[in-house]
Amino acid sequence: MKIENKLILSNIINGAFIVLIGLFAYQNANMVLTKLRFVEIADDLNASFLEMRVSEKNFFLYHDRKALMDIRGKIASTMTTIEAEKDDIIRAIEEEDLKKLQSHLKAYSFAINGASTGDPRDPDLETKIRAAGKRLKEYSESISRLERTRVNDIILSSKRILIISFWVILASALIITHIISQKIVRSLRRIEKLTKSISEGNFNRIEGVRPRDELGSVIEAMDSMSEELAHREEQIIQSKKLASLGILTAGVAHEITNPLNNISMIAQTYAELYPKLGEHDRIEFMNKVDAETERIRKIVKNLLDFSKPKDAHPKQADINTVIQQTLTLVQNMIDVSNIETSIHLADGLPPVFVDDHQIQQVLVNLITNAVQAMTSGGRLVISSRPGKKGDSIEIGVADTGKGIAPEFLPHIFDPFFSTKGEGGTGLGLSVSYGIIKNHQGEIRVDSMVGVGTTFTLELPRYNNEEKNNE
Amino acid sequence: MNRHKIMVIDDEKIVGDMAKLSLEQEGYVVETFLNAEPALKRLQEEKFDVVVTDYKMKGIDGMEVLKTVKDLYPSTQVIMITAFANLDAAIEALRRDVHDFFPKPVKIRELKASIKRALEKQL
Repeated sequence: MKIENKLILSNIINGAFIVLIGLFAYQNANMVLTKLRFVEIADDLNASFLEMRVSEKNFFLYHDRKALMDIRGKIASTMTTIEAEKDDIIRAIEEEDLKKLQSHLKAYSFAINGASTGDPRDPDLETKIRAAGKRLKEYSESISRLERTRVNDIILSSKRILIISFWVILASALIITHIISQKIVRSLRRIEKLTKSISEGNFNRIEGVRPRDELGSVIEAMDSMSEELAHREEQIIQSKKLASLGILTAGVAHEITNPLNNISMIAQTYAELYPKLGEHDRIEFMNKVDAETERIRKIVKNLLDFSKPKDAHPKQADINTVIQQTLTLVQNMIDVSNIETSIHLADGLPPVFVDDHQIQQVLVNLITNAVQAMTSGGRLVISSRPGKKGDSIEIGVADTGKGIAPEFLPHIFDPFFSTKGEGGTGLGLSVSYGIIKNHQGEIRVDSMVGVGTTFTLELPRYNNEEKNNE
Repeated sequence: MNRHKIMVIDDEKIVGDMAKLSLEQEGYVVETFLNAEPALKRLQEEKFDVVVTDYKMKGIDGMEVLKTVKDLYPSTQVIMITAFANLDAAIEALRRDVHDFFPKPVKIRELKASIKRALEKQL
């Protein structure tokens, strides 16, 4: 669910709860009002009843017949009041109670009616009337007392419920806010991790579960951004290639002109000195010509490798086997140098999808560089291990040679950049770079002057399904 | 006869070797160097009549050699050769009083003629 929707839902729930509490309080207040209205009526009735009892007393003490008339008038007006306020009364008390009150009133009225013909000095009559009057008054008073208690109860329970609701709403608001903010923080962390991986140059589609909330939309946006970045990177590489073609042309001119000049000068000198040269000298001259043509051939070959790295024929391969085959190629070079070698190949590495000849070419380049950087002896470490990302393998070629100066590091993969003087064409590393990029891999270098240089190749593992889909 | 001294500086060994063989035929004394540093050191010890230097070299380059030679011995003539046909470099060299500027591949006959002219200039 979207975080926005969660917030809205939690607000709706809390809001509904508050409305409910409000309704409850409103209803309680109404109830209290009704009850109070009744208590008001009951107080009036009680006052009337009290007056009836006073008239009753006058009748018995002073045998005043007018008092009976008063009582009858009061009874009639009370009955009218009850009838008029019946709805309000029923709302406050049970209909049963009202009926009982009315029957008590009727009984009293009946007794009074009986007294109008009887003798006021008759003690039976007096007892009867007094009992009926007392019952009526007590009943009415008990009802109003009960209702007062009820009003108190309602107010007390409302108060309690309002306090509890306050705490419940506060707690739920706090808990929901906490949960949602946790979720936002978690999402932000994940986004932070993803952007880091993109900034490290990982433009692959983001894997893993795609939540159906804002995070999901952000991941979606990042995916399209990565795609765009990958596309742009390709364009940049392409334009870099074009730019290096310019450098290449100038470089080729310079590189090839030197051996050409050498051949030309040998030929001129040969012609000039021919009569004076011995047979051995003549052969020496021709060997030099041959060596110079070999130099040109090498430049041209490297150039072709550089310009057409796309003619790779990748297949499933075990990287350790590729490394072992490379070692047999360079064994002789290592043997004649004053270098210690150690090989650390990890077991159980997943297969890779590579053109083994091209990878061998890269490794030969790196190992040759390492050996040449350690003219005064040192240690060469060649290793293979699972890649840090899990879906790749890493190959390390580390030497303890003279290292590469920091100002040269950004240029070592440029074509015709060489720190080796006449010994290097400056094409080895740029060709290697092209090959590894073409394998969707990476080539990295760490170097410290006087300590040594480590090249790390990262190659994607062979993915069976993916290749079948292609 | 006092034999003229020629110095050849080029990081291509064959250039020095061939120039030496050929120029010695003309009776010059030739010394060759693979880079500028030891060459300039040698020049501190002794004057050479003509210095033939490559333009593009690792470390000290041909322009630097030209400057140093002209500071040390204004009469010494410098001939520059280069695999890198660069007009700006040629103009700069001419401004600094270079005797001649040859693109590679070098015609030895032309080089010899140029050296001969350089020596005549000094008379």
